[in-house]
Amino acid sequence: MKAIEKGKALNSFGLAARRFFLFVVLLIFSSVNLPAAEVDLKPGDTIGPQNWKKVEDMVGPNLLNRIKAGYSFQIKASKHYTSPKEYVEATEKHSAQVRLGSKGELLNYVAGLPFPKIEPNDPQAGQKLAWNFYWRWLGDDFKTGGATKEGKIVRLAIERDGAERRADLVSYTLFPRTRYMLSPKPAIPGYEHIDWSQIRIDTYPRDTSGTTTLEFRYADPERPDDLYLYIPSIRRIRRATTTLRCQTLAPSEFTLDDINTFNAKITDFNYKFLGEKKILTNFVEEGLPFHRKTGDYLPTDEKWEVQDVYVLEITPKDPGYCYPKKVMWIDKVTWESTWAFMWDRKGEYWKEQFAFRAPVKLADGREVWSVGTVVIHNVQNGRTTLVTAVRSYNRGYPASLWSLATLQRIMRGGSVE
Amino acid sequence: MVERKNLSSRWQMEKTKNHTGLVISCLLVALALTTGSAQAASILGEEWEKFLTERVKFGGFVDNTTGLAIGPDGDRRHFKTSNRFIMERFTIQPEFNAQMTDWAKFFISWRFVKEPRYNAEARSRRKSVSYFPTAPVQPLPNTFYDEDSPKPWEAVLDILPTDRLAIRLGRQFISWGETDGLRLLDVINPQDSTFAPPVAPNLFDLDETRIPTWGIRMLYTAIPASSTTLELVALPGFEEAKQRVDEVVGSNDTRDGIVRYGRWSAHPETRLIIAGRNAFGNLYANSLSPASCAAPTIGCLVIPSTTRQLPDAGDNWKIGARITHNIGKLNFGLGYIWGYNPQGADMVFKRKGAVTCSAPVAGPCLAGLAPSVVNLRLVNDRTHIFAGHFNYAVDEILSIPLNTAIRGEIAIYPQEPYNISEFPGRNCATGVLTGFRVGPRCKRGVEDSDSILEKNTLRYALGFDRSILIPFLQDDPWRAFRMSFQIFQRIILDHEHGIHLFSTAEKIKKVSNFLTFRVSTGYRGDTILPDLFVGYDPAGYWSFNPAVSYAPPWNEKIKLTLTAALYGGHNKFAFPGFFSEKDSVFLKMRYQF
Repeated sequence: MKAIEKGKALNSFGLAARRFFLFVVLLIFSSVNLPAAEVDLKPGDTIGPQNWKKVEDMVGPNLLNRIKAGYSFQIKASKHYTSPKEYVEATEKHSAQVRLGSKGELLNYVAGLPFPKIEPNDPQAGQKLAWNFYWRWLGDDFKTGGATKEGKIVRLAIERDGAERRADLVSYTLFPRTRYMLSPKPAIPGYEHIDWSQIRIDTYPRDTSGTTTLEFRYADPERPDDLYLYIPSIRRIRRATTTLRCQTLAPSEFTLDDINTFNAKITDFNYKFLGEKKILTNFVEEGLPFHRKTGDYLPTDEKWEVQDVYVLEITPKDPGYCYPKKVMWIDKVTWESTWAFMWDRKGEYWKEQFAFRAPVKLADGREVWSVGTVVIHNVQNGRTTLVTAVRSYNRGYPASLWSLATLQRIMRGGSVE
Repeated sequence: MVERKNLSSRWQMEKTKNHTGLVISCLLVALALTTGSAQAASILGEEWEKFLTERVKFGGFVDNTTGLAIGPDGDRRHFKTSNRFIMERFTIQPEFNAQMTDWAKFFISWRFVKEPRYNAEARSRRKSVSYFPTAPVQPLPNTFYDEDSPKPWEAVLDILPTDRLAIRLGRQFISWGETDGLRLLDVINPQDSTFAPPVAPNLFDLDETRIPTWGIRMLYTAIPASSTTLELVALPGFEEAKQRVDEVVGSNDTRDGIVRYGRWSAHPETRLIIAGRNAFGNLYANSLSPASCAAPTIGCLVIPSTTRQLPDAGDNWKIGARITHNIGKLNFGLGYIWGYNPQGADMVFKRKGAVTCSAPVAGPCLAGLAPSVVNLRLVNDRTHIFAGHFNYAVDEILSIPLNTAIRGEIAIYPQEPYNISEFPGRNCATGVLTGFRVGPRCKRGVEDSDSILEKNTLRYALGFDRSILIPFLQDDPWRAFRMSFQIFQRIILDHEHGIHLFSTAEKIKKVSNFLTFRVSTGYRGDTILPDLFVGYDPAGYWSFNPAVSYAPPWNEKIKLTLTAALYGGHNKFAFPGFFSEKDSVFLKMRYQF
């Protein structure tokens, strides 16, 4: 009996020690500014359990644990994208006038990157980073999934035991007031009050296919999003509230705000700039989706590369929000998120998300970047969601696509194009 | 009689055989199109290969639903429905999508259903509803629920002449309104209630129970930014003679004199029981032998000879127009529907002709030895409806977070027809009470030969939708519970005493209410999906429709649902209490492809 109690005590001590160790690791992850000179990685290197220390601050804690447990991969040369010239020109033309309001809102913004220069000592650097992320270049419109082999987003929900379920969907996004290449420019008349609108359609499996959401994000920071839902089982449109942004979009591990890593209203949060660092990511995903073992969420033959990122800590103004802390690693050139880490209300590590990128072409042949495969892993329940969602940009969709009439002509398995 | 039965069953067999062949042929074609595209390409050429592989998509489902009656032993209410299967419904529905051009798409689906019925049910009904030994009432034929027509279930051609104009032609669904589980403005397509119980949306979706209708629908988006849309629908209504409308009462519309009851028809009995038999016909007519009603005998009984009366082709049109618009957070629409109203709940009985005798000659009836017969036609009159709907998202009021979507719809029916009778029954000429709870309506001292009057009716519904988090009930504390609460009200503006449900002797009050509540969520990564729907009439009736589905984590194509449809109330003659002895549980298994 004593031995059992002793064992329990040791287990309890071991659990506490592991939690303390994890806490320390996460503290390091969320705040350390790793100098570039300390990175000792070159193309062709293989990372695995034998040399995990080389990347211990460059990937999430969960992936690091997987590396320690045997996962290995190669390092490749870093890919460097350049922003489209129209976006750069808009930044040069308009960024000087952009200011932050008293509530963190964006004032005088027209187009381009709001704050091209981030000063580390600027107390508003975090807020500015968040707005830069929000207004990163994403084309004038795009179809998520439009550049995958199937022409749609492929989503897999993977259970702890490796069981998998697949779902397909497509998503169309319009940026009606920041148009760089498509006419009318710079805004579609009548749409100046809308930051973006998105229509998202489930296409597989059959019973959910046709389920469609239409969402509007308004420029007015005080105005909540509008969300309409078309439900094929009743063939009707239903209104939905958008304020419960924490709810899990089961069977995925994403919440409403996890879409595109951080889909919340910028003014609902506080931001802290934690520094710059080099991290591992993949800007040229080879397989779309990447090759992997069934039941696992890590790529088997993708190579990783070193990129420079900003580290941004996000804390909610609403104390009841699901993530009391979220940390994002934002790429310095594309302003896309490469990694995100979320903690729960007890302060325990909860979710880890990484996103690969893939090159895609515009209609004129110019190369730009797109999201490739995104992986979000819930370290507490062991479930993972993989989304392969390569975008095709500037398709020239009419604005009327993002209207309620579109929802009324959806058929199961059909498309709206 | 025997000969007729044999002929009938032979015809049914042949019909089944022919249709089975057709079904198999269709399935083979579907299979060839989908699985054999490469072979098809070699026959049809590269262009076709490209079209079939890139622009044609195939989907659908196979579904089996098994139902078990769990109600109390039916002797008390004539139906023996306990502990026996009431449903074994197998459905296969192939669906094709073809992206023909950038501006034209085509969707087509077929629905094939095989649903054998059981002798126990047939015996039960035969015993329970036999009025008269010489004209035994029969249950529905065993193939009544089968669907094996080659006619497409849905077949629509979507055309986009411009970015803002969408035209849909073909056999289609058109659904207006905002409600869930019950229909108010969703009256454009009829609903097939022969297999779906009422107020039980967890068993069959509305999508599965509506009957598609041929027609055209046009949507013109006038102002995209505010979703200002003009909508026009026109449905000529050229449907087949066997229009599967709500079989809520018995009817003998097949000219063989056999009264038939659907699975979800209400109990055929009313509160009128004469000589131990259901005296439903006495709602509409007095017998040929009033003397036999003094101490009620079989001669007082009036048998209803009911016939479903479908509108002529020219009277079957339905036209609707609607405009929807957004003002800020408010989305609303105003519309108008004119034409034939196919909804089961809006049917009325029209009395036709004089009361006759059930015997070949009138003598036995006049002597009080045989029941009388009244001919009734079950009809849906032409109607016109002024319609409106709105929805609005309330985030907070006075800084109190509400996070609620409010939705509502209103339908104004000018001159909606209702059946009317005398409560209590009386002799129209003398005014003396007959002693029956109800009798035919008297009009200027004589029995009313019509039994219908028209009243202005207002119906509306308000719904409140909210998602909440109840962390301690979930394995994922951020998995929301979706809750929905709805209030339905009907007000007969120029109400009159004696208006009653067409199928029973239950009076309709000036104001009637119905409340619904629904809550659903998901457990274990949405592999276990509970959903509860409750309906309640403050007059004392309720329905309870719990369901739990299992979506296995290893295959997204499979779904199993266990659900129940339970009804109750202080009497069994008002909606939905008249289903109280049809409590049932169902297991639904679906494979999607």
